[in-house]
Amino acid sequence: MRANVWSGRNEVRVENVPDPKVLNERDAIVRITSTAICGSDLHLYDGYIPTMKKGDILGHEFMGEVVETGKGVSNLQVGDRVVVPFPIACGDCWACRHELYSVCENSNPNAGMAEKLFGHSTAGIFGYSHLTGGYAGGQAEYARVPFADVGPIKIEDDLPDEKVLFLSDILPTGWFGADLCDIKGGEVIAVFGAGPVGLFAMASAALLGAERIVAIDEYDYRLRMARDKAGATDVINFSHDADVVEQLKELTAGRGPDAVIDAVGMEAVHGHGGVHAYDRVKQATRLQTERGHALRDAILACRPGGIVSVIGVYGGLLDKFPAGAFMNKGLQLRAGQAHVHRYLRPLYERIRDGEIDPSFVVTHRLGLDQAPEGFETFKHKQDECVKVVLKP
Amino acid sequence: MSRALQEVVPLSRRASITVNRPRETVERLWRGPDHRPEYIHSKGAAVRFADAPGDRGTEIHVELRPAWGGKAGEIVRKVTGSEPRAKAMDDLRHFKQLVETGVIARSDGAPEGELAERDLRQRPARPLGERAGVS
Repeated sequence: MRANVWSGRNEVRVENVPDPKVLNERDAIVRITSTAICGSDLHLYDGYIPTMKKGDILGHEFMGEVVETGKGVSNLQVGDRVVVPFPIACGDCWACRHELYSVCENSNPNAGMAEKLFGHSTAGIFGYSHLTGGYAGGQAEYARVPFADVGPIKIEDDLPDEKVLFLSDILPTGWFGADLCDIKGGEVIAVFGAGPVGLFAMASAALLGAERIVAIDEYDYRLRMARDKAGATDVINFSHDADVVEQLKELTAGRGPDAVIDAVGMEAVHGHGGVHAYDRVKQATRLQTERGHALRDAILACRPGGIVSVIGVYGGLLDKFPAGAFMNKGLQLRAGQAHVHRYLRPLYERIRDGEIDPSFVVTHRLGLDQAPEGFETFKHKQDECVKVVLKP
Repeated sequence: MSRALQEVVPLSRRASITVNRPRETVERLWRGPDHRPEYIHSKGAAVRFADAPGDRGTEIHVELRPAWGGKAGEIVRKVTGSEPRAKAMDDLRHFKQLVETGVIARSDGAPEGELAERDLRQRPARPLGERAGVS
């Protein structure tokens, strides 16, 4: 089959590789009909996630048709149309039984490796380094899906791929980010990053009842999409004025947002050249693995007693963490890879009911063979790129 | 320091895991033929079971015998992933996976499942082809 593989920093190639096989009785094989490039794939592309190997198949957002099932999979039939969640979860461990699917205790066969870096292992993830299991990803014609009796959701109506594909990751991830904010109605929620996950976090916050939603980004075209499609009431372009914290305070008459969502993660850009250069140099020389301006600003901007929700991906150590603001303002810091399985069914129903149409983020549609071009366009924000969908 | 604290087995010879099943089930499967952790059994390690607090299942605590080679041997084994503790953890993880899920989690990069000795020489995360299941 054809698959998009990581070939070193800033290089992916579409190659011929063997077709996947059932390795366990709880596996299924899916013929992929749509797959996407995630913002977090750029962290792999840029070389900031350790334990990548040349030849790893990328991709953790995919859907398709079941073509084979192991004998332990009774809920799926050959021919079923499914969306596959990006974390691999066994459904049986203590974490899964408590709906903490992204920290499944059994799905990562490199748990020992993960423990060395994070203290504990987290779930296996498709196409996302060997630290999360060394699973082949879904930017390919076929994928092996372990624990297929737990993860995939069957799509039983004729909604087009683009409306349901993002159930695999970015829609539940955005929703999770908003869910962590304990929105009860009337809140001001600030979202750092108006990429696909940030946009879905904004749309989710709006559906959950937030009154004002502030989008923060450096690109006007993304901020336009935030306002026109994702429910943002206010926008801040930090390339015009780098002091986001003061702007957020000004927008809220000094209070600060009730909750702040970091949908940026480890490769933040700072509007102030000096601050950015400081972190860029330390990251390039591996003195820190993260450029954490978004998280720092989120903590400084959040109102006392508020919540900082981190769904942007981090991989290692962050310098200059504002511990004083965090502690003295009494903030709650909540985070995680989304527990996608928890949200699949309710979000599928919201899509079916027309409450949300996630396809608004799609700006580029390419064939699988054009994946290298898709990565470059997405990375450099060329051609007003927001989301790339690949068709195998 | 109390006598009890002095006698504690060093961490390098201890391994433990929590299995999300009742203690009687865990003990029965541990002793039965299907899930038997071979490395731990072959090394004659001391094994202790305990109820985990609340609804958290059963704790398994393994104490390994001292290995050969002193400090130098320990470093060599650590680098190659062949230290007794790492091998015991592989065993414990496989046991937990089999008991909780019925299968051993396998990926393209780690087709045998958890194996500390493979950490430094993982296969690329792409299908194995005809050599499925073979390293």
